[in-house]
Amino acid sequence: MKLATFTHQDQERLGAVDEAGHMVDLHRAYALYLREIEGNPQPDRLAPLFLGRDMCDLLSRGKKSLEAARKALEFVKANPPPSNAAIVLNRDHIHLKSPVPRPGALISAGKNFSDHVAEMASKKGPAAPVAFLKLPGTVIGPEDAIPYPPEVKNLDYEVELAVIIGKRCVDVTHEEALDYVAGYAAFNDISARDIIRGENKTGIHLMGKSFPGFAPMGPYLVTADEVPDPQNLKLWLRVNGETRQDSNLGYMIFKIREMIAYWSQMELNPGDVLTTGTPRGVAAGRKAGEPPWWLKPGDVVEAEVERVGCLRNRIVAE
Amino acid sequence: MRLYLGILERSRPDQTRIFAEVDGKLLDLSLACATFLARVRGETNAYEFASYYFPETIAGFLLRGEQALKVLTEVVSFARNSGMHDLRGPAGEKVVYDQREVRLLPPLPNPERSFVIGFSDRARTEALPKAELPTGFYKLPQTFVTSGAPIVWPKFSEEVDADACLAIVIGKAGRRISPEQAWEHVAGVTLVIDITARDINRREGATTNNLLGKNFPSSTSLGPAVFLAKSRKELEDLETELSLDGVTKQKFALRDCVFSAEQIIARWSILGIKPGDWLAIGASMALQADRLQNPVPLKLGSVIRCSSPAIGDLTHTVVSLGGLRQ
Repeated sequence: MKLATFTHQDQERLGAVDEAGHMVDLHRAYALYLREIEGNPQPDRLAPLFLGRDMCDLLSRGKKSLEAARKALEFVKANPPPSNAAIVLNRDHIHLKSPVPRPGALISAGKNFSDHVAEMASKKGPAAPVAFLKLPGTVIGPEDAIPYPPEVKNLDYEVELAVIIGKRCVDVTHEEALDYVAGYAAFNDISARDIIRGENKTGIHLMGKSFPGFAPMGPYLVTADEVPDPQNLKLWLRVNGETRQDSNLGYMIFKIREMIAYWSQMELNPGDVLTTGTPRGVAAGRKAGEPPWWLKPGDVVEAEVERVGCLRNRIVAE
Repeated sequence: MRLYLGILERSRPDQTRIFAEVDGKLLDLSLACATFLARVRGETNAYEFASYYFPETIAGFLLRGEQALKVLTEVVSFARNSGMHDLRGPAGEKVVYDQREVRLLPPLPNPERSFVIGFSDRARTEALPKAELPTGFYKLPQTFVTSGAPIVWPKFSEEVDADACLAIVIGKAGRRISPEQAWEHVAGVTLVIDITARDINRREGATTNNLLGKNFPSSTSLGPAVFLAKSRKELEDLETELSLDGVTKQKFALRDCVFSAEQIIARWSILGIKPGDWLAIGASMALQADRLQNPVPLKLGSVIRCSSPAIGDLTHTVVSLGGLRQ
């Protein structure tokens, strides 16, 4: 399934994409199923108990929420509701948000592709997984613009895979790690390199990774059953149609399983997001004399992961 | 005025309430306000207005702005004048509690921005005035505990320490705030103990990161109350102390710190700030005899206590996960 969060008539809704590419409003579709098939007299009250208020809440409700979403999709496929019911929506009438608009924790791996470690002039790869926190409030969706802050001179991109946790996990093993994954999305770790350089002199980087809108994620949460081998997926990033990054998640230093196992030491919860780190090709890796690749207002950045989707955002001056 | 967030016995875990400390007792503000509105103002929808002014969280209360702060002052003086012991809700509900009747929670349990302003080990050992920027790190809300909860020694670490912090609590939203206007955005202060797995932190610091070493369960103690105060004059001399097994190890006030609260708010509000966010200023930023104060190493069984006369105290025992299970 492709799960989504969208707004329709200024209301945030949970959705799933049907075979025709339309957005199905999950609460309304499941309520219709409960009324028509199970004869429930108050389905609008019951549906949210299965599906949750938002994506984090949906994930924390476990298997029953995903089963409810599946039933809702199958039901509206077999019994197309009238268009005025606002159950199956035309994509032009909705605004797609990030599937997980506010994760509990957003943990981004650093230095996790050897070719990227080399281009950033680091001596060697790390001995243990390296990651930092981006503020959960920085997440934006596939139809939002990335604001270019006036404080920033060197704005950069990093295509990554977002791994969305579906079950609380503490101290899990590599072998079982993927059982805790709800699904995947494309991710762009927007970075202000000049701000980070300033922070790194005496501290750690936080501000340079966490301006509002610095974490585009989406377009959907593609459930784990549709991505049987997440460690073998191509990923690309294009700026104004020109390819800048082109690699495969197979080149990760610490694999997805290892990342989950390691970071589960601090406790991971449904709706937490781990991102994989990025391969070579970022603007900060350009050599002296090469034309600079820093992002500018007006640029369109496309971050794409095979099977998972493409995230397209425009840079807009604040 | 101290505000607490708590849950009453027999309440659901999501039914949190705001309390004010009045004459050593905890006053349930929403119900006390309902009585005040009904009796003094003749309000017919007193419960509804009272729960608007005093919603389920302190951050929610701060979002209501100046008007809610004014109602708070009126409700508290009404409660005092009515004789705290006899005060009841409009339908006779209990509104005054002993401290032990309320299970206290971290007063700001889910901020969007919970930053500790600090230095890495490198900056701590090098000469300080070199630090040009008040850098900071983010503490995940899932790590928060408050006074009385055990601090659980993380099993991946051999070396755990504690730093006392005074956290500036934001009361008014803003972005790119000038130092001159910084205090207009402050609601008050609370205490924070920043617990660090130092061996992990040192290793992560080599790549200018810190995550696991600062964000394990119970690595952030917050509370016990938000002390409402909004001027530099009221806050700069407040002393914050950290003791280990009864011996004072850290002691500082805002006036001793390398960066002022104004500078810190100006810097971090570049990202935007809003009510309920906090910026914690650590003991390690305070110069004492031209030296930084060092974090306090802990052992299993240690009792740590962070206190400030205006705010209260955070007291914890350090335990192992095994010890907790027993």
